Amino acid sequence: MKFPVSDTAILSRRDEIVARLREIVPDGVVSDQSGLATFDCDALSTYRQQPLVCVLPANREQVSAVLRYASAQGIPIVPRGSGTSLSGGALPREDGILLGLGRMKRILEIDYENGCVVAEPGVTNLAITKAVEAQGFYYAPDPSSQVACSIGGNVAENSGGLHCLKYGLTTNNILGVTFVLPDGEIVRLGGKSGSQGGLDLLGLVTGSEGLLGVVVEVVARILRKAPVTRTLLASFNTVTDAGACVAAIIADGVVPAAMEFMDRRCAEAIESYNAPGYPKAEAILLIDADGVEADVADAVARITAIVARIGGTAQEATDEKARARMWAGRKAAFAAMGKLAPDMMCMDGTIPRHALPEVLAEMDTLSTQYGLGFCNVFHAGDGNLHPLILFDVDKPGELERAEAFGADILRLCVKVGGVLTGEHGVGIEKRDLMTDMFAEPDLEQQHRIKCAIDPAGLFNPGKVFPTLSACIEQGHLHVHGAQMPRSDLPRF
Amino acid sequence: MVGVGSEAEVEEFVRAARADHAPFEIVAGGTRRGVGRPMSNSLGAELPVLDVSGLTGIVKYEPEELIVTAAPGTPLSEIRAALAARNQCLGFDPADWSAMLGSNGTATLGGAVSADAFGPGRLRHGAARDSLLGFRGVNGMGESFRAGSKVVKNVTGFDLPKLVCGAFGTLCVLTELTFRVYPKASHAITLCVGDVTPEDGLAVLRRIAHSALEPAGLFYLPGGTSLLGDIGQGAAIIRLEGAEAPLAQKVAMAHGLIGGPAHALGDGDRLFEAVRNGALFAGSDLDMWRIALPPAEAPRVIKTLNPSLWLGDLAGGSLWIGAAPAAAATIRAVATKADGHAMLLRASPQSRASLGIYAPQPPALAMMARNIKAAFDPMNLLNPGRL
Repeated sequence: MKFPVSDTAILSRRDEIVARLREIVPDGVVSDQSGLATFDCDALSTYRQQPLVCVLPANREQVSAVLRYASAQGIPIVPRGSGTSLSGGALPREDGILLGLGRMKRILEIDYENGCVVAEPGVTNLAITKAVEAQGFYYAPDPSSQVACSIGGNVAENSGGLHCLKYGLTTNNILGVTFVLPDGEIVRLGGKSGSQGGLDLLGLVTGSEGLLGVVVEVVARILRKAPVTRTLLASFNTVTDAGACVAAIIADGVVPAAMEFMDRRCAEAIESYNAPGYPKAEAILLIDADGVEADVADAVARITAIVARIGGTAQEATDEKARARMWAGRKAAFAAMGKLAPDMMCMDGTIPRHALPEVLAEMDTLSTQYGLGFCNVFHAGDGNLHPLILFDVDKPGELERAEAFGADILRLCVKVGGVLTGEHGVGIEKRDLMTDMFAEPDLEQQHRIKCAIDPAGLFNPGKVFPTLSACIEQGHLHVHGAQMPRSDLPRF
Repeated sequence: MVGVGSEAEVEEFVRAARADHAPFEIVAGGTRRGVGRPMSNSLGAELPVLDVSGLTGIVKYEPEELIVTAAPGTPLSEIRAALAARNQCLGFDPADWSAMLGSNGTATLGGAVSADAFGPGRLRHGAARDSLLGFRGVNGMGESFRAGSKVVKNVTGFDLPKLVCGAFGTLCVLTELTFRVYPKASHAITLCVGDVTPEDGLAVLRRIAHSALEPAGLFYLPGGTSLLGDIGQGAAIIRLEGAEAPLAQKVAMAHGLIGGPAHALGDGDRLFEAVRNGALFAGSDLDMWRIALPPAEAPRVIKTLNPSLWLGDLAGGSLWIGAAPAAAATIRAVATKADGHAMLLRASPQSRASLGIYAPQPPALAMMARNIKAAFDPMNLLNPGRL
């Protein structure tokens, strides 16, 4: 990965910049080396870079003042929520200010009448649900890092989760944001009405990966929790059958709340890790149906019939405990894989579901070619594939081979009509693969938007858009010694 | 008027327009030409028209992938029928405004996306912006490009599909649209809670909206209109969908939430179609507004404006209002005060020229929007000034 060249003029002005930031945020500037070391990466810890300085504003006015100063002085800015990005979105710059939003973590308003929560950007994803669950509501997007990831970061990354097919991504579940533009202007995009009139700027900034400005407030839509959820485990003799089953369920008009695919290697690893009782099979689907009781009963009956027709075997979790056990296996997939090899990388691409057998076969070929093992977990309903590549960083050349394998998998996703990332974001990780997915005019159009809002290019420079001089192409989440970066978080 | 039948021809047209510094109007079925500021060139002359109705037809429909790709000139009726044949539908329930706007043209997919023309079904699956996954288009420099993707889950790069929804053709000439589609339930039932005040009726609708019933449509219709028979002072209308047996359970649950008498309507489909297409306003000569609101604000807004002709869709989140031209400033002010905004859908050319479609934005936002427009169309050739 090629890091941007640091601006030595900025580096030499460090003391002055720190002093000025202390005037703006007297109690929130981190400038000592040990303090800065804690901010040197996000959850993609392969890449590390200590920031010039880290500032932790307490309110939007301070954010605005920091941006006005940085903009006037031409200093790069890297926004950061909780630092759980899997694509290096919050990787600092040596010559840039790291703007941490973690201190802004108040829930400002809960409005049940209009079905929304107004929160500062540092509020965690799960805290929004916790704030409203006693009244029977929740916030739908549930990235695996939801105990730690921030709602502001979710907006920046357009985060997903297990339930996107039915409930959408972040962009479909927020009604408005307050946003600070690079020049320090504070604007409201959308609001409790969900729209603003005119161009959909809310839609544009959601998922813009910190390249257009900083989220300082979010109006998140809350939903009534489904009264009933039932879980089915279906096993199949072939991967193709499992794929056909997913297609048949969708074609039958059922939209499961979640539908997870695991291949044999993955299921076996999980079974030997925490023994959730997965049967021996080439492929397993874990399916949740939610809603009112009769709707769920109807969905379960239809899914069961489809599984049988295709020649699979379905079993239903008989009670809440059995349901939790079935899911505990799937949610431990990453940890279980960690037992198979010292290191692994998690990829994130989306494919048209019909291409699954072809993609799996091709990945087998690549696996042999690179001499590395892998296994697959897959949000089957929406085609979001998470291949896990197994390797040992201590063996010479394996890291490089794993990186090349990973990049080939993402190219394969694009080749069959899919995309580089379904939920982790481009960040620095997949930046250099963007040209595999987009032609030059496509990328230029996106880049012109960037220039329209951040003409000086100070916001999160070096992310998302490939630089022409880039030399190494990679795409992965690097895990060493079965220790995920942010290993306290479940990853699924 | 110049007709085009391919993206290459669109490119050629735009490049020529660029060389001539000649702005133009983009038209497919032409049903929504009456929305927005009347356009003219710097000499006040009518703009040349780029007719994109020749960009038509479904390119690819994959029901198992929940994906359909179609050319923007595809008639809404055609795509609706093709999806219905596989028990699917477009999530934003696209509206045909031709009767409402006095046009005899054919409403198209591209027009519905560009005008953000959603129907009551938006309640369940969101607006066009929530299901437009990708598109192809030609920008104001005459360059074709693609944005987004053709898979249901994608976060690669900026989400440009959001921007073209409701942009009224000011950013690019659309040449292809890819949507995520939704299953259409086998059964539907329309419940009518008759003779309720706007306040009480909208409160019932919000209760249903915030329940686990996943309603497919919720609107309030005041009494004395031609859409329904005798409903007293007004009716709260609730649409529920599902397979046959579950639907019966949902209806029972809905009755519990309503807390009063309600009856099923025999012809809910027709009523919802009429509401979707703005039939209530087709025979009137009032100006027409669509106000987006936090739903709980709707009763207050209605009390303040006291409109003679109106309808409260999306459980109050989208008010359709007919009003005299003199009420324009009040409507915009009341909408803004309620943390919403008022979109002008029908008015005289003079009113449209002074009011535009959307209310003027604060300076920083207006600048942001201008810069984005320029990033697509630096010479301001595409539907200039329409927004």
